[in-house]
Amino acid sequence: MKKNYHFTVRYGLYIILTCSVLCPSPLAAVDNSECFECHSDEGLTTESTDNILQIEITESLYVDEDTFDKSIHNLIGITCVDCHADIEELDWNEEVPHARRLEKVHCVSCHEDAGEEFKNSVHMKMRTKGITMTCYACHGYHYVRQMEGASVAERTNSICLKCHNPNQFHEWLPSGDAHFAHVECVVCHAPEVPRHIDLRFYDLITMRFYKGDELIKIIGTNFDKIIQTIDKNHDQIIGMNEFDDLFFMLKQKNIRPILRAELVADINSIAHQISRESAQKTCEMCHASDSPYFNAVSIILIRDDDTVERYKIDRAILESYYVSHFYLLGGTRIKRLDKIGLLIIAGGACAALGHLIIRVLTIPLRRGKKENDD
Amino acid sequence: MSKGRLLYNYPLPVRVWHWINASGFVCLILTGFQIRYAEVLNFMPLTVAISIHNYVGFGVIANFFVWLSYYLGTGNVKIYIPDSRGWLALVWEQLKYYGYGVFVGKHNPHLMSPENKFNPLQQLVYLVVMFVFLPAQMMSGLFLWQIKKYEEYINLLGGIKLLDTIHVLLFFLFTSFLVIHCYFATLGHTPLARFKAMLTGFEEH
Repeated sequence: MKKNYHFTVRYGLYIILTCSVLCPSPLAAVDNSECFECHSDEGLTTESTDNILQIEITESLYVDEDTFDKSIHNLIGITCVDCHADIEELDWNEEVPHARRLEKVHCVSCHEDAGEEFKNSVHMKMRTKGITMTCYACHGYHYVRQMEGASVAERTNSICLKCHNPNQFHEWLPSGDAHFAHVECVVCHAPEVPRHIDLRFYDLITMRFYKGDELIKIIGTNFDKIIQTIDKNHDQIIGMNEFDDLFFMLKQKNIRPILRAELVADINSIAHQISRESAQKTCEMCHASDSPYFNAVSIILIRDDDTVERYKIDRAILESYYVSHFYLLGGTRIKRLDKIGLLIIAGGACAALGHLIIRVLTIPLRRGKKENDD
Repeated sequence: MSKGRLLYNYPLPVRVWHWINASGFVCLILTGFQIRYAEVLNFMPLTVAISIHNYVGFGVIANFFVWLSYYLGTGNVKIYIPDSRGWLALVWEQLKYYGYGVFVGKHNPHLMSPENKFNPLQQLVYLVVMFVFLPAQMMSGLFLWQIKKYEEYINLLGGIKLLDTIHVLLFFLFTSFLVIHCYFATLGHTPLARFKAMLTGFEEH
């Protein structure tokens, strides 16, 4: 069984950090602020070779400190020299206080599982064509964000769409643009990756998502107590009746949001397992009411610091009018309509059959009348 | 051998439109069932069903405009418009005939002619079907075909679930209509007479 990626990274890094605190090394001597002495200069560049195009380029060495501070690596305490591990100390007497050309950063030192999954991916196979895909070609260098609460657009724009044009190779896919808007690429392209439906409150009038803190304030609770407020039977899942109550509560406060749904992958190393052969092209996997793709459905609230609070909800919510802008044909069909449809069709068929039976039974009656008339 | 008179009730353009429409409806209904109930039906892959549904849908839309142009062009569209004078009483007469008279051998109160082809009940049903239900089905189908392209219109209508509800309810109504329509077609002077009439154009009275 594969290790939980999140667990490994988070706790692996905690161990590294703890060790570095308990066993001070020369690395501890280099503080991020020292790096930013030079790397906050927007004009700082170096000559380099493009990894993919293999051409000489002028590469910026500027790092935006504000954006870096919000990056997931900084937030969990990773310092510059934790990754740029070949910098042991800075010699401020030199023009460049460390080696002019640093060793490549080996992301897999920490992200071991991701590296393993990547080995058999189509991106690894590109090496046979002389193109090396590095981790940071997709994920970037210094500004890797916490992606758990990211929307499909944020996820795909910041990774896959850097290179890929989704309109190529998807001619076979009906309503391609609707898929691209609501389904993250890896859900189909790495079908083994665990996935879930994220539901967010959206205001159609202001056309924006409600922030978590905003909704909490409206409901008049806090993040610790909200689930007790909604999940009245304490079964750790919001049922349809409980959601009805929540919606009614919002309505009383003049809030009438809709739920916007997106099908996204878990933040999991298996997402790197992208291969040409394994891409999901069987539409029935999603567009059927028993689809395994909707086993995990959650309402998410995003806090101001980008962390995500997730509340499990009954998947039947997808078959309701609350999720009015997410449509998966049979996959999220409204079951009540099926019963109405059965009544309509069976009603028509029964009326015709009943009429036919009476017509057959009354043949002697008409025959007698015809004979009398003749 | 029948001794009735022959009336040319169904001109060629009407017959061609009718049979294209009928086959289109059957195709849309079958693929519609496959699309909606993919977990229980498996007579074709979903992508194939969707492609056929889309192509045939456009065929039915084009065919609708052929029908509309023909009836507006010839002025025959008036056969779909009920005569407001005593219309309700005539509908009641027709309902009584289908509910009772037809079983006891009474004559149809409506005398069919090329200029007055539909009985009052048919007029009512076809008026709603051709001028309300079918255009609504075509429009909702068109929006569902390209949901991102028509997103703004869909949002104005209350979202895709409502649009789907309209399309699906009409789909059930059309399916039911088709069953009843085929059954009523057996109410000619012989069970197959009206089917033959829709092929040859001539109906025996």
